[in-house]
Amino acid sequence: MIPRWARDGRVLVGLVLLAGVLAVALLAPLLAGMAPDEQDLLATLLPASWQEGGDAAHWLGTDSLGRDVFARLLYGARVALTVAAIAAPGAMIAGTLAALLAGYLGGWFDWLVGRAVDVWMSFPPVILSLILMVGLGTGTRNVIFAIMLVDWTRFCRVLRAEVLVVARRDYVTAAGLVGFGHLRILVREVFPAIVPLLITLLTLEMGIAVVVEAILSFVGLGVKPDEVAWGQMIADGRSTIYQAPFNLLAPVVAIFVTVAGFNLLGDGLRRSLDVRLLEGRG
Amino acid sequence: MTLLRAEGLNVTARIGPLTVPALRDLNLSLAPGKVLGLVGESGAGKSMVGRAIAQMLPPGFTVSGRGLHFAGQDLLTMPAGDRRALLGRQIAFIPQEPLSALNPVRTIGSQFGEHLRRVGVADWRAAAIAALASVHLPDPAGLLERYPHQLSGGMCQRVLIAMAFASKPALVIADEPTTALDVTIQARIIGVMRELQQLHDTAVLFITHDLRLAAEVCDEIAVLYAGGVVEHGPAEVVLNEPLHPYTKCLLLSAPEIHGPRRGLYTLPEQMPGLRALAEIPGCRFAPRCPLARESCRNAPALLLLKEAHRVACPYPGEVASINAGPPAAAPEVTAGEILVDVRGLGKTFRTGTPFKRRAVAAVRDVNFTLHAGEFLGVVGESGSGKSTLARLLMGLERPTAGEIRLAGSDVSRWDGAARRTRLQTAQMVFQDPQSALNPRRRVASIVTQALEAAGVPAAMREAKAAEILADLGMPPELGSRFPNQLSGGQRQRVNIGRALCLVPKLLVADEIVSGLDVSVQAQLLALLARLREEHRFALLLISHDLAVVRYLCERVMVMQRGVVVEQGRTDEVFANPQHPYTKELLEAVPKG
Amino acid sequence: MLLPFARRLAAVGPILLVVSLLLFAALRLLPVDPAAMSMPPTATKVEIEAARQAMGLDRPVVEQYAIWLGQTLHGDFGTSIHMRRPVGGLLLETLPATIELSVAAMIVAGMLGIGGGLALFALRNRRGEAVAELTTTLMMSIPEFLWALLFIFLFGVLLSALPFTGRLDPGMTRPVVTGFLLLDALLVGRPDIYASALRHLLLPAAALGIAFAPPVMRVLRTSLVDVYQEDYIRQARLRGVGELRILLLHALKNAILPTLTLMGVQFGFLFGGSLLVEVIYAYPGMGNLMVDAVRNADLPIIQAVGLTYCVVVLAITSAVDALVLLLNPRLRA
Repeated sequence: MIPRWARDGRVLVGLVLLAGVLAVALLAPLLAGMAPDEQDLLATLLPASWQEGGDAAHWLGTDSLGRDVFARLLYGARVALTVAAIAAPGAMIAGTLAALLAGYLGGWFDWLVGRAVDVWMSFPPVILSLILMVGLGTGTRNVIFAIMLVDWTRFCRVLRAEVLVVARRDYVTAAGLVGFGHLRILVREVFPAIVPLLITLLTLEMGIAVVVEAILSFVGLGVKPDEVAWGQMIADGRSTIYQAPFNLLAPVVAIFVTVAGFNLLGDGLRRSLDVRLLEGRG
Repeated sequence: MTLLRAEGLNVTARIGPLTVPALRDLNLSLAPGKVLGLVGESGAGKSMVGRAIAQMLPPGFTVSGRGLHFAGQDLLTMPAGDRRALLGRQIAFIPQEPLSALNPVRTIGSQFGEHLRRVGVADWRAAAIAALASVHLPDPAGLLERYPHQLSGGMCQRVLIAMAFASKPALVIADEPTTALDVTIQARIIGVMRELQQLHDTAVLFITHDLRLAAEVCDEIAVLYAGGVVEHGPAEVVLNEPLHPYTKCLLLSAPEIHGPRRGLYTLPEQMPGLRALAEIPGCRFAPRCPLARESCRNAPALLLLKEAHRVACPYPGEVASINAGPPAAAPEVTAGEILVDVRGLGKTFRTGTPFKRRAVAAVRDVNFTLHAGEFLGVVGESGSGKSTLARLLMGLERPTAGEIRLAGSDVSRWDGAARRTRLQTAQMVFQDPQSALNPRRRVASIVTQALEAAGVPAAMREAKAAEILADLGMPPELGSRFPNQLSGGQRQRVNIGRALCLVPKLLVADEIVSGLDVSVQAQLLALLARLREEHRFALLLISHDLAVVRYLCERVMVMQRGVVVEQGRTDEVFANPQHPYTKELLEAVPKG
Repeated sequence: MLLPFARRLAAVGPILLVVSLLLFAALRLLPVDPAAMSMPPTATKVEIEAARQAMGLDRPVVEQYAIWLGQTLHGDFGTSIHMRRPVGGLLLETLPATIELSVAAMIVAGMLGIGGGLALFALRNRRGEAVAELTTTLMMSIPEFLWALLFIFLFGVLLSALPFTGRLDPGMTRPVVTGFLLLDALLVGRPDIYASALRHLLLPAAALGIAFAPPVMRVLRTSLVDVYQEDYIRQARLRGVGELRILLLHALKNAILPTLTLMGVQFGFLFGGSLLVEVIYAYPGMGNLMVDAVRNADLPIIQAVGLTYCVVVLAITSAVDALVLLLNPRLRA
């Protein structure tokens, strides 16, 4: 019996898109044909192979250093997905722990977490990530770290509100009266209630992580210069938009497709998971 | 000449592939200036009638029939615009939940004014003030500037009543107008409604689940069951000499304040839901009816005439044979063994900001004792502190004064020893079965939660779960279901089962039968009485319903605003109330 | 009624303090040495050390923070290491430009968001709802800097309809009165400058605004759906009130409250996003200032601009809170 969420159109389309991006990232060496940093100074700024002046060897053209755009696109997917796969769950774990403890224990701990979230939220995320990258230095590892440090509040804020509601429900009180300890109550009674919301937020956060990585790379504070990232490609391709438009368009479309995949998946999950596990609906 | 006449009214619902009649061949008539009570349990379809008149049925529901006539016009064939013109003018509605029936971001005045202007009143301010005065609200002019959240439930309802009668409608439909209110407020609201009804000679359709209340308020009563009228006649006749088995059973299922003590009649199962209705041929009450026979299941129900009293049963004469059993006997209470000893108990809540601290004394100086195996009822209205008392006993709140002793040990302190004592001695049954059961746990897992916490292995827990379910009168298959697959009554049984798992000496039950249908309530009360026989636990029953307390508890405690105003043996307190508040409470209960 | 608002305002001070602390701390983790970066490549160690002392980077961190805090509260934001100009002056030049862009974008986001939300609501349970929902999801998959690039590509390159660099046509000089260009153009009576400024503002504001409109649409639609299930809406219908009246005078007044709160939060994101839009459109605002400073490890600018971003965000969220307080009588109790 296929569960309801697996039959939702959005979920399926999202999964297909993401599977595509994942496949592309994993098979990059096979599909690319050449290394992403292989420079060919005789063949710089070539347009796409079907445009006038294009070369069949470089399907989407080359950039200002003669590097193959298509290869760079595929390898860029690796960075994007790596960041998404590590940073998003990291932010989730931090934010969820804070939310669970704050919502369940209440009192001064809740106040502290609330104030911390307030402070964090007064920074526009872009600004905070930039400043963190200045402080930490560039590189993929630091990008992941910066995203976790900035985005834990996204999870905490939403989940804390939900935990507050669930923790006040009679069945949580009853579990305490019947002899369960706080930890077991948190794990067995409270946490399962927020899992649907959690999954949705996680999916959406992965999309956000891809965007943040692209932004940081665009500004030059993301991955190291010797690595490939979509944001970097955009920064490079911006000035050569007339000669070789695909230098810019390819990474733009790539980001859109990846983020759209995560958003569709998250949206679909939100609709189908929520309804079934919502309290009290028969 | 009738004001409202329903002829063969049908409301059908589409549920998936099924087409189910929610209202089937309903016939009603209401003369101008008369009050007709529509009595039924939840799901009987009484709200459907009001919705059909307003044409505001939920999606998937359609109305049809030979006619639904109002003041000579057929509402079923009337164009939508004409019908909307009637609403608010000739036909007015009084809702069930007064606090949420007014727009929270608009003042009373702005909403009242909008309504009055619509019905064409010239000087709306003066008219509004006059209307608010007519329902005995203080400072009507000032009230216009207030917001709904600044008013109490009773005050909001009076505003809504004033708005309903302001256009001097021919018909007012009151859908359970007092269900959400305390019983003393209820009496006042009913009084205000009657005043206005008599003043304007308005016809009223009074929808309620309380047959005795209907008998007090209405001229005629129509009893609904599963979408059809089973009995319709003058109020006193229906109350005192019912001719339909369902009416008789309904009367006998509800505990009474006055009169001799008797048992409660328990109808099996519950009223069929919409889906089940499709499968019942013939009389819809037959599956539960004590008088049912083969012919009932085949032929559709007939409506017999007997003067102005119509009955949808071919055997009205046999109703007299339906009787409730003897009252539940209270087992011998071991006098001397004091289980709960409360002295000087107090709880003050501190609220407000650091700049403006407020102290609310929810419970003040409460003293009482409870013996092992004794049933004590705590009655009071909202704000009386009875729920806080329950929470204090269970250790969910910390007392700010006084002490609580459970089985001899002092549990007022919040330490590990107190917690262990409580765990072994007392358990709580919560009010709202919706939020009291974890929707992600199966029923079997819920009833054995206490064992799980104590580390008992799964196999033993399963066996125990089957035992508990049998004890509760529930089939063992229900153990693998989730709470949202159970009915309200079944959920409440699971609630009780969970608390009884470790056989505590004390059960604290907070409003566990409120919000349940009368017949389901009767089943639960009978269950409690039977469980008492088997397990001999003491019960502290919190309830606003004095009749329930009278039925079940041998002692009662009356609370008002945090203080115990009277306590003693139930029959004595109810027969000879000493405190004015107790008298007021007893007066307010509808006698019929 | 003012009490909850006053409490909110009072909380702002400590928040800013903590924010400044975090900013300071984060920047002191620098792997780069700002002193070395400020000197030419040929500088000797002695010279670099002298520069460090001059910048005060040899003192303990806590002392550096105290000095900086004291100066900032007096309005002295320090001097840019790289540009050798007082930071205060740089802020005065760039802040109004960023605010102008953000406000224009917020207007776009607000109009699109509310209009779109109403449209989504009107489409509920009808054909076309699925398509509309899908469109919002896809729109949310395009971050602001991609919208910015797309708009350049479409309107700037392909259609050549609108300019996409700077604030004014080359050759025009910027009148300096308040710093808000549109306002200044009117004040000095130059409609041609006004027109040029407006044309240059169009693409960046539209890109930024359209990026942040979809969440507003969603929240308004959801709020309206929730409100329509409330008892008071049903009761109003039972009184015969017409549907249009119900939407505008009963439902919207309630549904707008969570929507406004969300818009306040969105402004924080939008304001930050303006940085990217400024970079892409070579718009001379705080964003570009920040990006240059970050590339050069120009600490005084980073600190001051970072703090300014937070101050503006806090000001806006406080204003939105006040507005919601005004509109929701239940909160004023």
